[in-house]
Amino acid sequence: MAAEIEGRRRTYIPMLDEMLGGGMPAGTSMLFTAMPGVASEVFGCQIIAERMRNDGDVSFIYTNTRTPVEIEHVFHRYGWDLRSALDSGQTFFVDSISSMMGMPAIGKYEIDDFKDSEKVVAEAIADIAGGTAVIEDVSTLLDSIGVDQTFDMIEGLNEVARSNDVNMIYLFTRWNYEKVMLGRLSQLVDCEVKLFSVEEKVVYRQVFAITKSNWIEASGTKIFFEVLEPGGVRVFIPKLLVTGPYNAGKTTFAHAIAPDTVSVERQTFELFPTTVGLDIGHLDYKGFSADVFGTPGQERFDLLLEPLGREAIGTFIVIDSTKPETFVRAKEMIRMCRTEAIPKVIIANKQDLPNALSPDEIKKKMALWEGVPIVPVSATDGKGLSEALDTLFSLIYEI
Amino acid sequence: MIPKIASGIAGLDELTGGLPENTMTLVYGPPKTGKSIFCYQFLRQAVADGDLCSYLMTDYIQSQLEQQMMVFDWFIHDYIQDKKLYVIDTASGSVGAMQKETKNMMISSPQNPTDIASKVIQQLQDIYQQTRAFRSILDSSTTLFAFNSPILVIRVLKSYIMRIKMAGGTGIITYTEGTAETEIETMLKASVDNIIYLDSETITIEAMAGLRQESAGYQITDNGIVVG
Repeated sequence: MAAEIEGRRRTYIPMLDEMLGGGMPAGTSMLFTAMPGVASEVFGCQIIAERMRNDGDVSFIYTNTRTPVEIEHVFHRYGWDLRSALDSGQTFFVDSISSMMGMPAIGKYEIDDFKDSEKVVAEAIADIAGGTAVIEDVSTLLDSIGVDQTFDMIEGLNEVARSNDVNMIYLFTRWNYEKVMLGRLSQLVDCEVKLFSVEEKVVYRQVFAITKSNWIEASGTKIFFEVLEPGGVRVFIPKLLVTGPYNAGKTTFAHAIAPDTVSVERQTFELFPTTVGLDIGHLDYKGFSADVFGTPGQERFDLLLEPLGREAIGTFIVIDSTKPETFVRAKEMIRMCRTEAIPKVIIANKQDLPNALSPDEIKKKMALWEGVPIVPVSATDGKGLSEALDTLFSLIYEI
Repeated sequence: MIPKIASGIAGLDELTGGLPENTMTLVYGPPKTGKSIFCYQFLRQAVADGDLCSYLMTDYIQSQLEQQMMVFDWFIHDYIQDKKLYVIDTASGSVGAMQKETKNMMISSPQNPTDIASKVIQQLQDIYQQTRAFRSILDSSTTLFAFNSPILVIRVLKSYIMRIKMAGGTGIITYTEGTAETEIETMLKASVDNIIYLDSETITIEAMAGLRQESAGYQITDNGIVVG
């Protein structure tokens, strides 16, 4: 984390300020680039609502996607009072949607024709020196007035904002635009924060990351978040699942990747202790933070698998490389955890034993999951652990 | 052999064998040719088969859908009670009615595709927890074209289609012919897998995997669209 620097203006997005060295320098711009399906509006709302509440900030919202009435409603849902700030003039709308919808415009400024946007918004910026402007959203501008004019506009507005110490917050949904265009857009702003989802087929978790910043080195660290109503953007600690057949070494593996893991074990009538409850631990690895949950392997605990798998964002399937007869059971457990659709890595454990099958032999025997990586590991002597973690994290965070 | 699902349209499946599973079908034609009724029948089949259905409606709200289907003696009340229908309506939002949202009943705005996409995903996530085979209906893309730049709508629809198919769904999208430029219509057609054209007398399968172009007469009766 960078040290907090005097004069930075907080965004009040958890973790974002810490990563930005306290917030945004006055007069700078920030672009939130959201993959389709990830909600971006809340970021704009949160920044101006919290700044108004905590810092007495002045602001405006330029909108071409939601009507002022809808925006007020959204603020309300998150638990922020926009009404009294509107009444007192602490904030106002630049309404570029109502006239298009055939409704009376609400706001200090209205725009009937997108082509007038730059001039009107520039005037509004001059009204809120030292404050914050939210521009919602850039995608509609791009597809309405064209790329060049939109870029000219952003450049012009940032210029006006700089001389008025105004922070510009741009919201942008990244539909299937040209890569070159996206690169140019990123060049126009001081800071870009990408919002995306960790998924396979269907979104599981939302993540943000700073991918560009002119005032601090962008680490690329990914922060999981959730959006609460009320509450807004909150950091979410993701959950990793460790599962696999009985006696495959799940607990040993969980302890090896998350050393503070607490296990519920008891001596059974068998020769070795086995997990009858859970392994729960916390993992911090290369800037990623996650809770680790290990499942029991015996069939009589199968009912526990589904609730344990719920909300997991990634799974390690630990198998005993010396016991191919248990591989079918591994597949069955994945189904019962309902984690078929999230990123997973097969941990070919017990590679230290002489009769262990190689990853290639296991791959042939399993032939169950196309493209699921197999990592050879020996959990007892710590071999292959970082490779296992790197492999799963690279699957999870694939952008 | 391509796996197919029943369309719910009397006589249509005899012609096509059903709609290919996990594909998107564009149902288009001039106004008042039965595109929405096509959707009701598709939904009615989901009810009959016990399939979940994601329904993005832009011109009516859930209670209107229920009423319109009741005209044909098709009842979806139990289906809604069982939380099998997932609605996003962009109709009540635009008239300023702010009702409470649930996982099965979400409100959005036709001019806010970012919000629509985010709500589609939220519902698909819920659906995906329960099943891999479900149906989806988007009636009608015409409204989206009316409120947004056409090229933006194409981007949004492509993303929508990809999401539905990835989650395992089989869907239909309706569009009123002539409401967007020819170029945009071409792009729309290129984004879907199957194309069905209705002109008030003839139904034409313009494109469908494994089929040659087929047409047949149809009528709108008390039992909905009847082909042949």
